[in-house]
Amino acid sequence: MTNRRRIAPLLLIVAFAVLPLFAQQQADRVKEVGGKFLCMCGCGQILTQCNHVGCTVSTSMLKELGAMVNRGDSEDKITQAFVQEFGTTVYAEPPKSGFSLVAWLMPVFYFLIGAVIVVFFINKWRKQAPAPAAVAPAGVHISPEAYERARSQADRDTED
Amino acid sequence: MDVFGSFTLLLAFVCAVYALVGGIAAIMTRHPLLVKSTRQAGMATCVLIFIATFSLEYLLFSDNFSQAYVVSHSNRDLSAFYKVAALWSGQEGSLLFWSFLLSIYVISVLIAYRNKNGELMPYVGVVLAGVQTFFLVLNNFVESPFKTLATVNASGALEPFTRMDGNGLNPLLQYPEMVIHPPNLYSGYTGFTIPFAFALAALLARYPGEKWIHLTRKWTMIAWCFQSVGILLGAHWAYAVLGWGGYWGWDPVENASLLPWLTGTAFLHSVMMQEKRGMMKVWNVWLVFCTFLLCILGTFLTRSGIVSSVHAFANSHIGPWFVGFLALTLIVCFVAYVKNRDYLKSENQLDSMISRESSFLFNNLLFLVACIAVLSGTLFPVFSEWFTSNRISVGAPFFNKIMIPVGLAILFLTGVGPLLAWRKTSGDSMKRNFGWPLSVGLLCGVAAYFLGYRDTFSIICLALCGFVFWTIVMEFYRGARVISARAGMNILVSAHELAMRNTRRYGGYVVHFGMVLVFIGLAGSAFNTDVQRPMNLGESMKLGPYTLVLQSADTKAEQNYTAQRMIVEVLKDNKQLMMMYPEKRQFQGTDEGNGTMVAIYSTLREDVYVVFAGMDADTKLPVIHAFLNPLVKWIWLGGVWVVMGTLLALMPNRRAALAVGLVPQPAASASPIAQALNPSVTLREGHD
Repeated sequence: MTNRRRIAPLLLIVAFAVLPLFAQQQADRVKEVGGKFLCMCGCGQILTQCNHVGCTVSTSMLKELGAMVNRGDSEDKITQAFVQEFGTTVYAEPPKSGFSLVAWLMPVFYFLIGAVIVVFFINKWRKQAPAPAAVAPAGVHISPEAYERARSQADRDTED
Repeated sequence: MDVFGSFTLLLAFVCAVYALVGGIAAIMTRHPLLVKSTRQAGMATCVLIFIATFSLEYLLFSDNFSQAYVVSHSNRDLSAFYKVAALWSGQEGSLLFWSFLLSIYVISVLIAYRNKNGELMPYVGVVLAGVQTFFLVLNNFVESPFKTLATVNASGALEPFTRMDGNGLNPLLQYPEMVIHPPNLYSGYTGFTIPFAFALAALLARYPGEKWIHLTRKWTMIAWCFQSVGILLGAHWAYAVLGWGGYWGWDPVENASLLPWLTGTAFLHSVMMQEKRGMMKVWNVWLVFCTFLLCILGTFLTRSGIVSSVHAFANSHIGPWFVGFLALTLIVCFVAYVKNRDYLKSENQLDSMISRESSFLFNNLLFLVACIAVLSGTLFPVFSEWFTSNRISVGAPFFNKIMIPVGLAILFLTGVGPLLAWRKTSGDSMKRNFGWPLSVGLLCGVAAYFLGYRDTFSIICLALCGFVFWTIVMEFYRGARVISARAGMNILVSAHELAMRNTRRYGGYVVHFGMVLVFIGLAGSAFNTDVQRPMNLGESMKLGPYTLVLQSADTKAEQNYTAQRMIVEVLKDNKQLMMMYPEKRQFQGTDEGNGTMVAIYSTLREDVYVVFAGMDADTKLPVIHAFLNPLVKWIWLGGVWVVMGTLLALMPNRRAALAVGLVPQPAASASPIAQALNPSVTLREGHD
């Protein structure tokens, strides 16, 4: 038996063992890349999640995606192909470039502006706070009315 | 009955206009009879809307297929249960239903306060009549639910026409939750009209004191509770019916319901600042205004077709009406604010950056950021089309990336807030208060890691859940311990007693506990797994620790549909666990096709979620799509606690009873402080 003949069955076994792994890898990649697009049937769902009965759009899109993944196309290439075919509505999230970048920056901008405003007002209101009242020396009488006022204020302050 | 319904609706419009115009005249002239007559016109408007709504339901129940609305949304086979739901399944009916729910609130307010708040109520009546008038304009002149079918006869004239049967109800809506989800959500939307009316009225009337805030808070809590339940039921419906394995897809219509909920929640927190410290009056008034405006905006988004959504109503020409109403309301609010802003002068004083007040400010900031981020993300496709002529979609991945950090920050503040004192928190008190909750939080995070939850956000979320949970436990324990020591009751009874004595505070903590459960459920979503494939009978597939075996398939004929059912056996460790029956339903007489019925086996640990996804085009075999979704049940349990907490917060406080007893009298020379601290009556724990 030649070496080549000895190796052939071994290669076959390895191929059978690796093929399912490869198929699983491809399926995972389809799932990962497909998660970046929307189904174009109008449901607004992620391509890999669209489950409308008889939705031919997602079926054909997934088939197309599967073919591109099997061909070994890069994510950029797949994205370009999908955008060319379906337009920018195919994005599941806006790309982080051009005008779409605004969508990503806006929430951060709101938060920063809001935080600056909150800190500004806290500082401003702290300056308006009156100096703490001097502690009454021992033995000084407080009227029952003043006591009641203080007590109800304390109640209000600790109620919630 | 259709003419009767149409007539009552028209009469309701006339009464609402009278309540609005007469109300303004009554405010200007202060004529008591005019005030009374406009209030009664407001009540008559509500009664007439009730009659119109029942008329439409009568037409649906009597299968009156001469009516366009009945033909479009019902059929003879539709069960009575869903004939009720047909009322809000279409644009026209749901707008009438909106008026109906608003009328329930309006008549409740008009009756409850008929002899109270005399200075304020005419203004409240006018605002409510204004909102009712807008919706009655839509009900009468734009989207009337009482349109009769007609056909052109041989002579070219129109004559009434009756169909033999209707098109039926959309299959997606033929699910029990659809009978309770929209009424809850609409009750939330319409309920926010009441706080808006009180806030605007108080501003216009320059109503003295903080009383309007107390009135507003109660109504806001009612609306907020309905909105929360509506959102959660909608999520559960999406989970159990749509069959995509999730419960929240950041769809524009879902987002629209979340917007007023976020501002309403911010208001429920910041209102405490006004009550206790007389602060943030301008902020609170605008939060109430914004919440109402967001309700109208949400309705506009759902009904105008400006954003695409599977949940939206069919496109109509109703959009400009909503834009007009939004603009008018905004102008009225702005003018009222500018003219009366000195009335909102606050006593804004803060003692320290580290205080309960500051935590509320940051809490409000986060809720507002969340609200604006969701709003701008929802509207971004529209903006991008305006600016670049390309419509750029914004889907769930975008919202998840933005909202998860914001949500976690809010959860963190949920725990921090109660641990900080009003005015100022000392370093010692911080060490004392934060030590245990932080330790428990850390422990939860470590436990989550070792239990296999290897996602950063999920671990942070579970750690924060532990932190907030322990904060709540400590709050109850501290108060209950005092009552227990004084009254000799056990700690659990004392905790109950404590909650009943300050329902608002402890109801709030119960709501927080509910939110902790919801967040635990959300944390699980990072670990969802699924498997889908065509299956032969007897074939099996693995799903985590479970094995699913497709045992058989059958067909089941029901009154209104035929179900094609897959019978799936679920095994765990080679032991039979249960049988599951995912199905596809073919509804008779509908234009909308099929519906899905997901089979769910739910435990606290995870949901086994099985969908019959149709027949494979190539192999002609049934396709089974199975999901393993961890911790989902916690979300629904959290919702129940949120409702219970809100109900508790709405209850009046029990008061501790004073029982006169003999105690040694203090010496005559003792100071008033000593006398006050040793009153001549002893306080015994108990209640009225």
